Amino acid sequence: MSTPNSRANPAFYAVIALLVFMSVGPVILMFMNSFKLDVDIISGTSGLIFLPTIQNYEKALCDVLWYEPDHIDFCSLKFGNAFINSLIIALVSTALTLVIGCMAAYALVRFRFMGRDTVSLSTLMVRMVPPAVLLVPVFGLWNNEFCLDRDGLIGGAIRDTFGGRGDVCLAGTHSGIILIYVAMNLPFVIWILQSFIVQVPRSLEEAARVDGAGPFQVFFKVVLPLIKPGLAAAAIFTFRIAWNEYLLASALSDRDTRTVPILIVNNMSEFNVEWGVIMATGMLLAIPPIIFTLLASRQIITGMTAGAVKG
Amino acid sequence: MRTAMANRLTPYMFMAPAVIIMAIALMYPLGYMVWGSFRDWNPSQTIGEAEFVGLKNYIFLWNDPNFHESLGVTLRFAFFVVTIEMIIGVGLALLLDREIRGISILRTMFILPMMIAPVVVGLMWRYMYHPTVGTFNRFLDSIGLPRVDWLGDYALTSVIIADIWQWTPFIFILSLAALQSLPRSALEAARIDGATAWQQIIHIKLPLMMPVLIVTALLRLIDAFKVLEVILVMTEGGPGLSTEILALRISRTATEFRELGVAAAMSNYLLILLLLLTVGMFAFNRWQEARAARLNALVEEES
Amino acid sequence: MFKALKTTAVGLTTAAIMVGAAFANPYEEYAGTTLIVNFPAHPHYNAAMKVLPEFTKETGIEVEVDQLPYLKMRERQTLELAQDEGEYDLIAYVVFSKADYVFADQLENLAKYFMNPKLADPSYDADDLIDGYVENIGVAGGTKGYLPGKTGSLFGIPFGSETSVLAYRKDIFEKHGIAEPKNYDQLLDAACKIPEVEPGMGGMASRAASGHQASHAFLLHLAPLGGRVFDDAWNPIINNAAGVEAANALKTIVDCGPEGAMSFGPSEAANAFASGQAAMFMDSIAFMPGFEDPERSQVVGKVGYAMHPEGVRRGSQTGGFGIGIPKNAENKEAAFLLMQWLTSKQGDLMVAMEGGNPSRFSTYQDAGLNEKYPFAATFGEALKYADPDWRPIIPVWGKINADIGTTMSKVLTEDLDIQEALDGVAERTRAVMDDAGYYTWQ
Repeated sequence: MSTPNSRANPAFYAVIALLVFMSVGPVILMFMNSFKLDVDIISGTSGLIFLPTIQNYEKALCDVLWYEPDHIDFCSLKFGNAFINSLIIALVSTALTLVIGCMAAYALVRFRFMGRDTVSLSTLMVRMVPPAVLLVPVFGLWNNEFCLDRDGLIGGAIRDTFGGRGDVCLAGTHSGIILIYVAMNLPFVIWILQSFIVQVPRSLEEAARVDGAGPFQVFFKVVLPLIKPGLAAAAIFTFRIAWNEYLLASALSDRDTRTVPILIVNNMSEFNVEWGVIMATGMLLAIPPIIFTLLASRQIITGMTAGAVKG
Repeated sequence: MRTAMANRLTPYMFMAPAVIIMAIALMYPLGYMVWGSFRDWNPSQTIGEAEFVGLKNYIFLWNDPNFHESLGVTLRFAFFVVTIEMIIGVGLALLLDREIRGISILRTMFILPMMIAPVVVGLMWRYMYHPTVGTFNRFLDSIGLPRVDWLGDYALTSVIIADIWQWTPFIFILSLAALQSLPRSALEAARIDGATAWQQIIHIKLPLMMPVLIVTALLRLIDAFKVLEVILVMTEGGPGLSTEILALRISRTATEFRELGVAAAMSNYLLILLLLLTVGMFAFNRWQEARAARLNALVEEES
Repeated sequence: MFKALKTTAVGLTTAAIMVGAAFANPYEEYAGTTLIVNFPAHPHYNAAMKVLPEFTKETGIEVEVDQLPYLKMRERQTLELAQDEGEYDLIAYVVFSKADYVFADQLENLAKYFMNPKLADPSYDADDLIDGYVENIGVAGGTKGYLPGKTGSLFGIPFGSETSVLAYRKDIFEKHGIAEPKNYDQLLDAACKIPEVEPGMGGMASRAASGHQASHAFLLHLAPLGGRVFDDAWNPIINNAAGVEAANALKTIVDCGPEGAMSFGPSEAANAFASGQAAMFMDSIAFMPGFEDPERSQVVGKVGYAMHPEGVRRGSQTGGFGIGIPKNAENKEAAFLLMQWLTSKQGDLMVAMEGGNPSRFSTYQDAGLNEKYPFAATFGEALKYADPDWRPIIPVWGKINADIGTTMSKVLTEDLDIQEALDGVAERTRAVMDDAGYYTWQ
């Protein structure tokens, strides 16, 4: 029925309630379990009545707590450290992707130049490459080829300043992970932003140019402010991928640059699964995306539809 | 003269950073991978030290029953995931295409699963499928039904269900957007002609939505080949190879079996498969645009 | 930036500790060093984590542990050890990594440390270390390259080593008058009798999942039944009568096992036993303490522990982890001190009391330990028959292992003819061995 039907139809609302329950239920379940002791989770004294505890969170965050909880024998989960790594990597790669992607999208839309079709075709192609396909080459290159000699000028300077051992390679650094994330996300960002830039009226730009603005000024002062919604959408999607990605990060990170997803996967494959702590780490990882969703759902939906419907 | 020069260079300057980064971090690695796929290469060697073995890795995979099984799992997974998600997603969009109070809040709820990390989705579902402490078996127990070995006997189905949970909203929201941008006039006309709701859907709405639906399906299909973390956390590819999709097999071959050459060759097979899909999608897009243009031209001629 | 801050902080704390321990001791020279060690996430190493603060207190040497799941740990190590300068000062390695690491010259030979009077503790008592473990985990270069022998030398010390024992349900066995299985005939009889007399319960829970697990399960039976993967000239003999018998045994066990047994990995199998779905479980001793933990097991107090039953000979598995010093480590001498401390009599006992797996005879005889873990005595007895040659630890083993595992899984699930299947494995194995140059001298 496409007629706007304002009559309250109980069955209809029941369907909606069921859908909401199905999509949010697992998240709430995880949220509640993260406040339960393992004994409670396993014994199955079901559901809502339990004594909430923050022990799981204390255990997850033991490396950044200012006190030492009694129930912790040793701190093996370095969650705080991983959280900071995740933040640095996700934020920096999002910012870089946006700036670079924006410029490229603008050039693709506004200028006619040689190879434009090739660029936009390959952008589309690259979007189809699964991260798993990049695993082998990225692993090999970042570890063995993209290196500075330890005794070289820059390499030596880096080792003197930051410490560490061996040749300075991209693998094991934040920059290494950021580089691959930027590259992976660029095609998608260019794709989305293109569809927004197309809508910016050309006359506005010409007017600015008549007033004597150069191409860069036109871009930053006229175009950028007009495509803010598109930027927001692109930012959220880029952040989401950089924040959630596991495979490449696990191949590239070392002891100090592990991100949260790696930590969670590592913790899952242990001999006996500590559900409470895992749920707590999962919840901490899920919080930033959940906040984004609540604050900016409209932009997310715009981004999704722009990427698919208009692409 | 100088400004003209600068103007001519401008697009290149705007493109340069993106092109450089993608060349270094995507194109070069892909080439490197093709090169590596002809070598017998293990992770503690540099590629130069690895022995050149020609097509050996490709031939090995071509005859490797495990690779076949994994390919089969991947194709089955992608097919079922896309089909079921399309049916449910589009169905829901048609059902819920009306004015509801608080629709924006509802949409927020629906996109939540998509935004959460696949790793976390995997662990939530692994918990819910757990044979003894999991939510589903507890529920079955409480209503007196026998327990189900979700991640054992029905591993692939269980993994598919989790993916459906996460990605059906994507299709739902896209088809809802498509539905709401349909030309009102066509629907009006149909209603005046006395078409039932069912007839409207079959003869008007679905055909008009078709271009968007096909793009959506292709996007999902391509994403289905990227799925890895959810399955890794839920089953680690097991039991046996029953949920070992290609992406997971590539990663295991590279890290666990330490055969980078074989993993690279496998990656190439996967890329070729995806390339066919992409080209198909691109060609379809072109064809669609051309048809739309032709139709427009016809309409203009007639009027 | 963060790294720099952290180092300063660590420096400050160690300085504080040094003031406290300012009397002459062998550790003095190294106090204030920070060792970076790579351990697996494993019950034994969790126990070791609880003991490490004691080491720091005693010696002033700081230890920073990078704990990873053991397959991840191996991946990380392949990468780290190949570099000119590595991050780790001390690593724990899985038994089957020994061949790879030593062959690639990535582990320190320990002789020069035990020769150094400033480092070697005279009361270490190396003879107390369990022979089978040292031979299996630590020694390389002897007979066949991986067994002890006159040309062998020590590259690591067992720490967190395991053997196989049989856990069985005393109550069920008593109820139906089944005797504790002493040999393979009794074992297989019992395995198939249980499901008949106790409906809903499987005979024995065993690993069987395709790949490493199925191969492990097969080899577990191969050694006691008199078989080997290779003869002395590296000819594959996996397809001889003993091989077929072992495969048959595994098939019988899985067929009479609990529901879903074909896809069991070790933890599924242990869970099946712990939740009462199977009457027997034969695997590494690392799983056994879990059966006595009321939080995770429904069979607490009902479990009897017996030695791995005898076939034509006794031969329980040897496995687990050893610790060694990478060639590219920064603080090798301090790392040796930690290694020596952890595997000393006191260290071994402390870790064992926290739930670890002892590597010393004296620890198994300790009264306190036997009181805390009643099954310790059986384990100590089982160790005497631990067979270091139950699987060949050679660099190409990974490939052969994967092949055995896949084939064995097919035997279990698709009813492949066993003789034919094993002939296939032998043939492919021969090709792999030929490729790797094992027949150069023939």
